[in-house]
Amino acid sequence: MPKPAMIRGRESLEAIAILVLEFGRLLMEAGSSARHVDEITTQVAVGLGAERVDLRVDYASLAITIGAGPDAVTRMRRVGPLGVNESLHRALNTASARIAQGGFTVEEARAELTDLLRKSPGHSDWVVAVAVGVACAAFGRLLGIDWAAVGPIFVAATLGQTVRRQLALHKVNAFISATVVAFLGSGLCGFGARWAGSHTLAMDMIAPVLLLVPGVPAFNAQYDILEGYPTLGSARAVWVVVMVIFMTAGVWLAQGLLGEGR
Amino acid sequence: MGFYQLFQDTVCGGLAAAGFGVLFNVGYRGLPWCAASGALALALRTVALGEGWSLEAASFVAALAVGVAVQLLPSPIGISRNALHVVGCIQMIPGAFAAKAILGLFAITAQHSTATNETLIAAMDNTLRVALTMGALGTGVAIPTLLLRVRELKWAGAD
Repeated sequence: MPKPAMIRGRESLEAIAILVLEFGRLLMEAGSSARHVDEITTQVAVGLGAERVDLRVDYASLAITIGAGPDAVTRMRRVGPLGVNESLHRALNTASARIAQGGFTVEEARAELTDLLRKSPGHSDWVVAVAVGVACAAFGRLLGIDWAAVGPIFVAATLGQTVRRQLALHKVNAFISATVVAFLGSGLCGFGARWAGSHTLAMDMIAPVLLLVPGVPAFNAQYDILEGYPTLGSARAVWVVVMVIFMTAGVWLAQGLLGEGR
Repeated sequence: MGFYQLFQDTVCGGLAAAGFGVLFNVGYRGLPWCAASGALALALRTVALGEGWSLEAASFVAALAVGVAVQLLPSPIGISRNALHVVGCIQMIPGAFAAKAILGLFAITAQHSTATNETLIAAMDNTLRVALTMGALGTGVAIPTLLLRVRELKWAGAD
């Protein structure tokens, strides 16, 4: 079995720390729990020859201390907006498993990471928008809306996801984006469902905004708390609550526009 | 609970899970598993609700059962087990109750509120329901993963 790469001084430790933090950042941004980030980064660091690894996972940053023999370095890395990307998550897991088997230099491991980022697949925006429309229409039926509202929910949610994507590309604040998308989706659906003769208008106006409910962060918050990362778990939980409040504000404004729910 | 209700909830659960799978960038190979996971979760929850269980208890049992089923699947299936478990359960997150709870609180705090005690009670009812259902889902999702991890650690220690 190949051996981990030899460590040659602080310079190599720094290169390992920077690469490992890059793995951690990408995992966080792809929706991993704190324990998973800790396990994968440790795996990569040990595979590259580190003997000691200590990682601190925060909501917006990662800090790591890596040591080998008498040497050790500590480095920190900022983490971007947390999203969900299962394909990238799997690719990072696979790459880290290969690196953990040993035989990689830091340069080779970095090339592996660059390659997987280049090849990481993604659905086109219109496929995602239509899928979200279908999901919200299905959600609507689960919530007891009548058939007349299914079409308006599909259209409103599809359009909402399209607008949400454009706002994200223009780096609009996620909470403001949630209110705008919720107002648009809820209002559009309300007008459409009323025109279609739906008798479940109050719920119709909520269904198309369910795409904004941060489900994965909500589960991750609980995972993190249960697995010994209460600080990160609490931060995630607060983020989820604020996101739902901003989302609901959009629905409230749309209801005001249509004279519903007052 | 009629067969139509069960059928509809199963299909809608599958569609919602697959739709969220696309949103979470699950590959095409993993999407049928997402749909199956969501369908199983909603079918179990509907049956439990039909038997008179509370929403919280039904959600917990559905999340736990899906978690166990996911851990028994062969590998690889085009999606990680944890992600499949979460995608299967995500449509049980009470997002609509959360929105209704906050809308109720908005109504109570309006300047010329015509809200009655009933509005307050409904808002609190929805808030508690969201908190308890989220707790039930989170616990149901976490238990199989945590148990499996303990088992993996024991095996690793025995080697």
